[in-house]
Amino acid sequence: MTRKLVRGPVGAAILSLAAVTIAASPGCKGRIGGGGAAPGAAGPSPGSSAGTAGASVAGGAGTGGAVATADGGVVPLVTSACVSAPPNPGRSPLRRLNLSEYAATVKDLLGVDTTVTNTFPPDQLLATQGAGFTNNADALVVTALLANAYMTAAEQFATAAVMDLSSLLPCDQTKVGEDACAQQFIADFGRRAFRRTLSADEKTQYFNLYTTGKTGAAFADGISLALEGFLQSPSFLYRVEKGAPASPTDEVAPVTSFEMATRLSYFLWGTTPDKTLLDVAEADQLQTPDQISAQVTRLMGDPRAHDAVTKFHTEWLNLAVIPTLDKDKALFPEWTPAIALDLFNEAETFVDKTFWGDAKSDAFFASSGSYANAELATFYGLPAPSGAGFQPVSFDPTQRRGLLTMGGILAANAKENQTSPVLRGKFVREQLLCQTLPPPPANLVIMPPQVTPGTTTRQRFAMHETQALCASCHTLMDGMGVGFENYDPLGRWRTTDQGLPIDASGTIVGTADLNGMFDGVVDLAGKFAQSEEARQCLVTQWFRFANGRAEVADDACTLQRLYQGFEDSAHDMRDLVTKLAVSDAFRYRSMKGGGQ
Amino acid sequence: MKISRRMFLRGAGGAAIALPLLSDVPGARAQAAPPLKRFIVMFSPNGTIPSAWASTGQGAGFTPGPIFDDLVSAGHKNDLIVMQGLDMNACLDGPGGDAHGLGIGCLLTGTELAAGNQFEAGMGGPGSGWPGGISVDQFIASMLPKRQHLSIDFAIKRMSGSIWSRMSYTGPNGQVVEPFDDPTVAFNTLFANVGDSASAMALQAKRRKSVLDQVVGELQSLEGSLSGADRMKVDAHLTQIRQIEAQLQVMAPPTSCTKPAKPTLVASAPIVYNASGMETKQDPSADDDVPMRHDLARKMLAAAMACDMARVGTIMMAPSRSDIFLSWISGGVTESHHDYSHEGDNNTTAQQKLVQINQWYAAQVAAMITLLKSTPEGAGTMFDNTVILWANELGIGNAHTHTQIPLMLAGSAGGYLKTGQAVKMPSGTAHNRLLLTICQAMGLTGVTTFGNPKFCADGPIKEIVA
Repeated sequence: MTRKLVRGPVGAAILSLAAVTIAASPGCKGRIGGGGAAPGAAGPSPGSSAGTAGASVAGGAGTGGAVATADGGVVPLVTSACVSAPPNPGRSPLRRLNLSEYAATVKDLLGVDTTVTNTFPPDQLLATQGAGFTNNADALVVTALLANAYMTAAEQFATAAVMDLSSLLPCDQTKVGEDACAQQFIADFGRRAFRRTLSADEKTQYFNLYTTGKTGAAFADGISLALEGFLQSPSFLYRVEKGAPASPTDEVAPVTSFEMATRLSYFLWGTTPDKTLLDVAEADQLQTPDQISAQVTRLMGDPRAHDAVTKFHTEWLNLAVIPTLDKDKALFPEWTPAIALDLFNEAETFVDKTFWGDAKSDAFFASSGSYANAELATFYGLPAPSGAGFQPVSFDPTQRRGLLTMGGILAANAKENQTSPVLRGKFVREQLLCQTLPPPPANLVIMPPQVTPGTTTRQRFAMHETQALCASCHTLMDGMGVGFENYDPLGRWRTTDQGLPIDASGTIVGTADLNGMFDGVVDLAGKFAQSEEARQCLVTQWFRFANGRAEVADDACTLQRLYQGFEDSAHDMRDLVTKLAVSDAFRYRSMKGGGQ
Repeated sequence: MKISRRMFLRGAGGAAIALPLLSDVPGARAQAAPPLKRFIVMFSPNGTIPSAWASTGQGAGFTPGPIFDDLVSAGHKNDLIVMQGLDMNACLDGPGGDAHGLGIGCLLTGTELAAGNQFEAGMGGPGSGWPGGISVDQFIASMLPKRQHLSIDFAIKRMSGSIWSRMSYTGPNGQVVEPFDDPTVAFNTLFANVGDSASAMALQAKRRKSVLDQVVGELQSLEGSLSGADRMKVDAHLTQIRQIEAQLQVMAPPTSCTKPAKPTLVASAPIVYNASGMETKQDPSADDDVPMRHDLARKMLAAAMACDMARVGTIMMAPSRSDIFLSWISGGVTESHHDYSHEGDNNTTAQQKLVQINQWYAAQVAAMITLLKSTPEGAGTMFDNTVILWANELGIGNAHTHTQIPLMLAGSAGGYLKTGQAVKMPSGTAHNRLLLTICQAMGLTGVTTFGNPKFCADGPIKEIVA
């Protein structure tokens, strides 16, 4: 008898760090986290390499995170293994400035026009789960076109900057002498560009560049050449970190104060550290949690923090797509670019005002209030608010609750001429529960069913339930998505579909604390408002944004502490930001960098 | 056949090369004064309508299908080789998620995609990594005498750098060649210095070199302190800087070089992606400048090649899975190209629109041929020494097949290819053999396989060699 090598189902990836592994049907390759086990334990997809952005969410070894066990007992969020664990920062990949960080940094350093960056090759987004923020380090590489763009842009910026030498230079070259002033400029500007003090060697090298540029030309040509060098240096383009290991063999080390200044500034402002941060760093006063927290408080009090928070929310909820949405013009003549923009502004205003208001994430699922201008209120069928621009409005609490019923999000996750239970369910699973959904089978031609009079959307998508191949995965998306049928493709409330009454009952499976039947999104929102899994996903998304990477198994303790801290603070998002800044992943670095 | 280890390594994943035709250094050629030949790839997406692609009759007596109407009316019929029956075998047995990403990954590399989940989004499958090797355009470019640019590459639509919107690679693991997707950047890079005085260009080259030398030193020092993925990231950056330095050393374009008109287009609108990293549908009117962008790309490529700035060029007329609204075709459109391509065979409107869309892309190829024919060179025109490959990532659009790929050559590459015919190959013939034939047509006659060697066992396609 010949022996056969038996291969398991494709979906049954064996992962020591994963909490649970569901072997999906052959048609549904991949695995879905949750399954009634550890909350947030959406494990890596098959083939994901832990070194890149494969997502293994924190429950640790299948133990952490849970709030209640089957027998009703309460398990602490921070497992015993993490209580006294040594600092473990997970991965610390080399991070390149993304395009918006680069443009903001150049503007802060030189005050020059940076619109040329609009022609730079766009930053890549990784499709991998957990990698969806534009600051993901694994996606930020330098390609041929980008290297060329850096070069020509550096020349353009330098040329513009030396037009006004007196603003650029820290000294008057006519008084202290050209070379002496150049030396001062190199030390001073270099410290700002590299976000640390320059070594003696570096000062010499950049002075040599200045000399080369000045030879046979003017003083400004020398300064310009040194500037071109700074703006193409890896110490400028990347956030190079060396850490401060106590011993050369240490695998984990605290970041230096300069490195911490850089981490804080790009996290909370999306740009380069200001003078205060650099001065505090130079005095090595960014080491203790208190020192770091003090700067977090200062940075969060600056208008620039609002931009960074908006960026987080926009990318987390994919809000930027809303103003670009097209809807079927024959069916929905009331859909206009202006309304699409209003819906985008509503969503952004709601999340930002929540964050900067009482800061509690509960409103994301509980609030029946939002913001609208007169046009948007009319669109929703509300009385126009008093006052110009966006004002607080109250929805019927039996119709609207927070993010799940946000018009722009509902419209974004719908088709042009019909709703999409699939897209809405997928959005909730991926963005709000941090789960990884498997892709559909290969070579499947996917066409949404045509709209047919007298058939509800729910009926048209029923094939997903009746065909086993589809059902194995679509139960996860559609089972939740059909509950959104009271919201039309534009995100407006409706009670009928194709003249037939709406059935908005759904069934949730594959989650930690949301499983079961529900009827309509207000009911669903009530469940989400109680869901620890949903709150932990919010923490996880902030973790990804703060650290420019997806979480890995080594982050389990960091995440458990953050989850616990978020519960302790009664779900305070601003408190979460501070705690992120003093978490292991933020204060320390793996001396293996981006490797594992 | 003896293959040196070094050459084999370079060819790994790309081509197997029989020595001693070529030296190790591109440019330092064993052959004396090779004939100047050019290779251009023009890509259009979303498969074809087979009945409108198929020729009536084979060989020289063929009558091209309706898709070729503009090529015929422009007088190019005798310059064409219309291929039927070629399959992308490398797509059929390797990993791959979405059919479009898989197809465009195999198209010019002739390799399977790497396993992985980097591109798991899209229409299905367990996902994949990047293609497994160098693409034919880059391979040929690397073997030809060195010019100012290894290749000149255009993408008409501004896209993220994913597997869906890239087709040229210098090697495996995502060594993508990034096309110009902004006409102004392309113009400035290619032509900004054309006509400058020699001393001004020399001064700029000297300044750039001094800065880049400093950057190289810093990158090397940084690289030495890193390992793993971080090191690879810095190494890739270093490679790009060295490439720029190498360009600085190549002679400046001849002063007789003719500049095309400077484009006045503004930068395209920012791109919006969905959670899977795919571009989301834009306002259809945002595509209205597409025909103008085609015109600019063609003129810049022809002008740059006329100056011999590069001997290889590509125009990605649309990304794979293109959502472009071709509203300018007769009768207009109500759906994007990709949406039409999903409609069933019984939707006659969609079928007709798809034929029109393919006809429009054929007209773009025809315009490129006309442009090259209008540029004198030697006793003839530029086109005499050129071969154009018109290619697609899919066969039948709505079935998303990787078989029966619509592939067409135009131009004989200096008389090497036998044009003016339709050639139907037996089902299952790997398109690698066409890529191999192109290598040989471009003078790389020592190349015996391209892409996965197992697909080249039957050698080049003799039917199309003169």
